[in-house]
Amino acid sequence: MKLNIEGLLVYFPYDYIYPEQYSYMLELKRTLDAKGHGVLEMPSGTGKTISLLSLIIAYQRAFPLEVTKLIYCSRTVPEIEKVIEELRKLMEFYSKETGESNNFLALALSSRKNLCIHPEILHANIVVYSYHYLLDPKIADLVSKELAKKSVVVFDEAHNIDNVCIDSMSVNITRRTLDRCQNNVDTLQNTIHKIKETDAAKLREEYRRLVEGLKEANVARETDIYLANPVLPDEILQEAVPGTIRTAEHFVGFLRRFLEYLKSRLRVQHVVQESAPQFLKDIFDKVCIDRKPLRFCAERLQSLLRTLEIADIADFSAVTLISNFATLVSTYSQGFTIIIEPFEDRTPTIANPVLHFSCMDPSIAIKPVFQRFQSVIITSGTLSPLDIYPRILDFRPVTMASFTMTLARTCLCPLIVGRGNDQVALSSKFETREDFAVIRNYGNLLLEMSAIVPDGIVAFFTSYVYMENIVASWYEQGILENIQRNKLIFIETQDAAETSMALEKYQEACENGRGAILLSVARGKVSEGIDFVHHFGRAVIMFGVPYVYTQSRILKARLEYLRDQFQIRENDFLTFDAMRHAAQCVGRAIRGKTDYGLMIFADKRYARADKRGKLPRWIQEHINDGSLNLTVDEAVQLAKHFLRQMAQPFRQEDQLGLSLLTLEQLQSEEMLQKITQIAHQT
Amino acid sequence: MASLSEEVLLVVKKVRQRKQDGTLYLMAERIAWGPEGKDRFTVSHLYADIRCQKISPDGKAKVQLQLVLHTGESTTFHFANESSALKDREAAKELLQQLLPKFKKKANKELEEKNRMLQEDPVLFQLYKDLVVSQVISAEEFWANRLGGVNNTDPTLFNNKQEVGISGAFLADIRPQTDGCNGLRYNLTADIIESIFRTYPAVKQKYSENVPHNLTEKEFWTRFFQSHYFHRDRINTGTQDIFSECAKQDEKGLKSLVVQGVKNPLVDLLSLEDKTLDEGYGVSTTQPSTSNANRTVKESSNYAIIKRFNHHSAMVLAAGSRKGETPADQASETSSTDGNSRDSDFFQPPVKKVKLQEAIEYEDLQRENRPKTVALNLKKSDRYAHGPVPLQSQQYTTSQDIINSVNYIRHEMANYKPNLTQVVSSTAASSAIVALSPGGVLMQAGAQQAINQMVPSEVQGELKHLYVAAGELLRHFWSCFPVNTPFLEEKVIKMKSNLERFQMTKLCPFQDKIQRQYLSTNVSLQVSFSLVCVLSVVKNGVR
Repeated sequence: MKLNIEGLLVYFPYDYIYPEQYSYMLELKRTLDAKGHGVLEMPSGTGKTISLLSLIIAYQRAFPLEVTKLIYCSRTVPEIEKVIEELRKLMEFYSKETGESNNFLALALSSRKNLCIHPEILHANIVVYSYHYLLDPKIADLVSKELAKKSVVVFDEAHNIDNVCIDSMSVNITRRTLDRCQNNVDTLQNTIHKIKETDAAKLREEYRRLVEGLKEANVARETDIYLANPVLPDEILQEAVPGTIRTAEHFVGFLRRFLEYLKSRLRVQHVVQESAPQFLKDIFDKVCIDRKPLRFCAERLQSLLRTLEIADIADFSAVTLISNFATLVSTYSQGFTIIIEPFEDRTPTIANPVLHFSCMDPSIAIKPVFQRFQSVIITSGTLSPLDIYPRILDFRPVTMASFTMTLARTCLCPLIVGRGNDQVALSSKFETREDFAVIRNYGNLLLEMSAIVPDGIVAFFTSYVYMENIVASWYEQGILENIQRNKLIFIETQDAAETSMALEKYQEACENGRGAILLSVARGKVSEGIDFVHHFGRAVIMFGVPYVYTQSRILKARLEYLRDQFQIRENDFLTFDAMRHAAQCVGRAIRGKTDYGLMIFADKRYARADKRGKLPRWIQEHINDGSLNLTVDEAVQLAKHFLRQMAQPFRQEDQLGLSLLTLEQLQSEEMLQKITQIAHQT
Repeated sequence: MASLSEEVLLVVKKVRQRKQDGTLYLMAERIAWGPEGKDRFTVSHLYADIRCQKISPDGKAKVQLQLVLHTGESTTFHFANESSALKDREAAKELLQQLLPKFKKKANKELEEKNRMLQEDPVLFQLYKDLVVSQVISAEEFWANRLGGVNNTDPTLFNNKQEVGISGAFLADIRPQTDGCNGLRYNLTADIIESIFRTYPAVKQKYSENVPHNLTEKEFWTRFFQSHYFHRDRINTGTQDIFSECAKQDEKGLKSLVVQGVKNPLVDLLSLEDKTLDEGYGVSTTQPSTSNANRTVKESSNYAIIKRFNHHSAMVLAAGSRKGETPADQASETSSTDGNSRDSDFFQPPVKKVKLQEAIEYEDLQRENRPKTVALNLKKSDRYAHGPVPLQSQQYTTSQDIINSVNYIRHEMANYKPNLTQVVSSTAASSAIVALSPGGVLMQAGAQQAINQMVPSEVQGELKHLYVAAGELLRHFWSCFPVNTPFLEEKVIKMKSNLERFQMTKLCPFQDKIQRQYLSTNVSLQVSFSLVCVLSVVKNGVR
């Protein structure tokens, strides 16, 4: 159908449309009109991707000078491929409707295949790739830095975007890293030695360039050609590379000194935590390394590797890591922390020193993106509470909206199970984690559900360790055996290949009618990347509240930083983080309006307003007083009723006019009125 | 007595059968029992006829062995030798155990199959009786195109029953019981053994390697249950344990499954992420890591349990789909090979394409073009969800309603004033009543449809059988056309004579009978006449 979105002609490749899709496009258009950023939450399975693509491409065609490019970032390879497939569908629709072959160039990038040739990116109208290509400075520099300013950037599945940002700026150094680095430095030294004998001119030429400094890069940045690289701060662009590291030998010597210093720092007996300035002071005191050459370290190494014409940079990953660390630690006095741990907490007898250089401020990595591109859209099925993202990513959105899922039948059934049949309070909280009564009741819940839920059930635990313990305990109590009478059991392990196999078998068992249970882990790969549509997931059980492992020093440092810099209280952040993962887990089962599933939150803490209130609106609005703090039996009764209702045939006619609209229905005054209520502005 | 050439494998004396003392003989092909002092066997069963043997529980006073035959009959032997009853029985049992499976395979599969088909399909059985037993056509002809499944419209009806899968909890069903003296008893049934073998081929292999040469059956299973293989943590399997090899083999099997990878790219966690961070970057270990190196004993045993469950479920699943689904399996395999290698960069494997299409499809956003189905229309879905519930007020009249309406009617009656100028005369009224009573003029409509009431049901049944039989014969007959081979020509002629014989032996007598008994009704004859007509056409056609 062809839609009129506030005066913009939008080609939409379906015969019908969901009301929320229309509302979503409306908000999106307003964001683009305002040339600002947006945060949009819309449930999965309501056709978010196709709405985004339809609107932005229509916009691009209507205003080719205003928006020149769409950069669509998603998280996983299958997600990226799905976007491409939807795009293909849209393009087919365009050529069918307009009769002209489309001249749109779309490009998908992934590391494993179709490795893109850089100039093509510049000409493409649409680029689809993974987050890292834009957020990881190491890759962004290669792939994305010349992207036009007038681009629209979309981060889909963005609920974890802060973690991606942090990961891309954090460095861990172990003894092994340092040993490999030592080898790298030796190789460099030898190569320089050889070149000096054969082609000394090359090195002299490099020296000359370094005197000129990084002016070129500076010009480019000022004339707005490049996406800024957060590793390469503005100030150093104006300066020449300092004399102490300008010649190749001097630089290698410098690296050696730095390396020795790091080695000495790893020889610790107790945990050390310090800020970047403290580290710089210490390094100056101990080995007389100044801040300035450190800042140039990354750039200087790149130059050297280019000069030496080293083909395989991967071999030099260790020394690259070290020099990136050097630049980062000397550039940012805030937002990072250094933690040196002599051993893992769980194994205090085994020395395994690690230097963590942790980014605590996700806005550092994403700042250039917000600054450069005129519209950045952050979207996902679960972004609640919406206002926290602008705070932690430090940007001002022009639109923030959460859309509900209009439903002709209530196809999701969130239940909060807070008690066992014996009234024991169910919770994964630390104090009762080993409590047999809780574990037994959890087992009972799964057993009862396995008897009434058809086909597939997915259960999530708060961590691997917790899951392993519970599984062992269930095994000893004979609970698993009883569950096996109803369904086969598959369990996620830390081995990805093994888990993939288990997943496929799980689907096979759901497919052939035997039914299966998948035990999995929140924050694990399954919870983040695998959908359980229709019979692959008729119920999701979330055992416990998936709080992050709070004993980690890195996390503690980050929480402190959030409190000091963004006035976000520790508990608020931890709850937000736990709830977004819980929402991700339970949301895995509902992938559309024709789908249906139970969402069982098995922890009494979910009943509290501060937890519940952080769930996405589209889940929250189906939690009523009758579904709080249930016993296992009560939950089973409600679930039975729900499943029987859902098993009734559900036809298109049932949805039409309510949650599914024809063009005529969409254009009616009354419906347009209703649609304005779908978007919930914050 | 037994023929001279027969080899006697075992003789057990003092075995009672039907309260008679006698001797039990196990021979190469049959088991036989003869009463004491007599020179003949009163009981003799071919091994091939025996479905299974059952034994009385160990604690029982009588030591018995029961043979169940394929026909459903059974024969019970009571081992009565006081000193060695148990030993005798065990010897007989063991020997039978080895002999029976050999003969099971030999048993005439086809005969069994035919038997089964006849038992399951009463119509077919009747047809068989009408055509074969009454010698209209030979049994061979009857089965000719039944077993082949050539003309079967509904192949599932005649094919084997669906393979029964294995319960996921079969190991749980072997509940160990304490035997009262520091030991455990496991009850194994043939089904469970079958399940174990199907799920764990490695155990089956061990079984066939060791039983009965090295171990008795009992010893084998005792060791199986003692083995760590059966118990939770398979990490400490001793080397002397015969099952340690099984555990290794399973491990290997699991590994090869893992290495094979998955066909559905959407569940391949290995290729989920496009660009993982390079080594050394990222916030490492927000959770305590459990690498293999520094697992505690407890952790690795937990891990072993998890692995075992995955393996067990995979094996159970595979055992359920192993048989009968090989074509599907092959198909998927070829599709993954011709769809090209995972490492091919330029072709999207079709599996992947299909999965992606599925994943982005919004069935409700598209116009429906599925065949219309009739939906179950529930007036009150609540009642469906809750099952029968007591009276619901809105559906039934309350007692108040009833009282009200009774009052209303009473009121009406009290105020009733006949409109005397317009009443019907009494004669007209009574004739109307007569006409409307059963047998009256206006009630005649039912008379024409009463053939099924006038003809007794046996005759109707007979007619039906004849009709079906004639249809079957005609089917055979017409299947010969076009007659383009000598074989078919021969068959046509044979079928023609079959048809004639059918007419002579079945149809004509029936016709006569009907004519004799129900001369007045000609309806029932129409069918047989039409059959005769068909037959004459056929005859002409053949000429």
